[in-house]
Amino acid sequence: MSEMTKKMQEIAREILVKGEAEVVIGWEKGTFWYLSPPAFIDKPEDVQRLVWDDFCHNNLSKYLVDLKNHEGKAAVFVKGCDSRAFNRLLQDKQIAREKVVLIGIPCPGLLDQDKAKELGKNSDLPKAQKCLDCQYPNPLVYDYYLGDKEALNEVAATKEAADYSDVAAIEAMSPDERYDFWTKQYDRCIRCYACRNVCPACSCRECVFDQTRVGWIGKANNSSENQFFALTRAMHVAGRCIECGECERACPMDIPIMLLNKKLVKDINELFGEYDAGIDIEGKLPLGHFDKNDPEEFM
Amino acid sequence: MSVKEMPQNWEPKILVFACNWCTYAGADLAGLSRLQYPPNIRILRVPCSGRVNPQFVIRAFQRGVDGVLVAGCHPGDCHYVSGNYFTRRRYLLMQRLLQYVGVDPERFQARWISGSEGPKFQQVVTQITEEIRAMGPNRKLRDAQ
Repeated sequence: MSEMTKKMQEIAREILVKGEAEVVIGWEKGTFWYLSPPAFIDKPEDVQRLVWDDFCHNNLSKYLVDLKNHEGKAAVFVKGCDSRAFNRLLQDKQIAREKVVLIGIPCPGLLDQDKAKELGKNSDLPKAQKCLDCQYPNPLVYDYYLGDKEALNEVAATKEAADYSDVAAIEAMSPDERYDFWTKQYDRCIRCYACRNVCPACSCRECVFDQTRVGWIGKANNSSENQFFALTRAMHVAGRCIECGECERACPMDIPIMLLNKKLVKDINELFGEYDAGIDIEGKLPLGHFDKNDPEEFM
Repeated sequence: MSVKEMPQNWEPKILVFACNWCTYAGADLAGLSRLQYPPNIRILRVPCSGRVNPQFVIRAFQRGVDGVLVAGCHPGDCHYVSGNYFTRRRYLLMQRLLQYVGVDPERFQARWISGSEGPKFQQVVTQITEEIRAMGPNRKLRDAQ
């Protein structure tokens, strides 16, 4: 059992015994060694189910939306990306800060689940793509912190510039090549909406894709409807995407959804100034306000 | 008819989202002044260019238009004070996103046309129609029925 797992179990037990929260949301070991699904612990004797390993990918903050009408408090473990997701939902007033106890965990970057499944247990596994692109590995907001607080500042100082080379590679193609590329990707989409369901930027009470009577999107699974879904979702999360990469991980068809989201993040940075979602909860969203000196291309 | 075939006597079909207060008045002025412009445009009057949801644009392409123009008041002139500033942000992004997924930049455009700019309306519409006529029918994002 790792040091961190031990710490997690201790603090979870403490919180439950003291009654600080009614439920602790963490990760546990499930059917496969390369998956660590979420665990909802509400009894102190169950805390030994909690684990921290290289596959604790699930963004637990999103589950707080389901507990919106729950009266008691919930404690939740947060990595860097989870804490940004928490800020994001807080900014949208989806959750109440006082109903949540956050336990921060410094994240060293997790391993790629798909590769793990493919290569087997005793192989040298690569990091997940979302973790390679990660700019905020440590939680930005927490009540308890299960790591070395001094190391936290060091990491913050060494933040690397974002890498958009994969987006640039697509931008370099001709329009027809780009269209073929995306058609090929989204023709695989089965519209299970897993990407939407895990997304911490998607918190509408009724999603546009569920409004079947309004008829924004047809039931038919064809290129055109899938492209409508892809573009609409990309525009809806524009300026709100925290780049946690959960959509891409949850996608059963391996569609590179983050390539769309990263493009929007890149353009927002270029057009309206640097903006990282889920950092500052007081600030306005890039598409929720304007500047009179925005670039002018429509004269 | 399949969208893959080039129809005979094809004429471009262009959807213009015109804001009620400026561009629609501009189009009206163009008409009153007897300025000739191609009949390929379909004007859809909206209260403000800020009303134009990106979904409208994608849906228009799905249902077979060859080009979309979103037009509204010049920045600073919005009847609702700031609607077009939001439009500007939204469509700067949307335009880049559409190009990123392979839509030709000519097919989706945004312009500011005021109520007194009848000649500008004529000129913009003529230019877009000619560009799209040269490119041929749009096949991207099309609903193939």
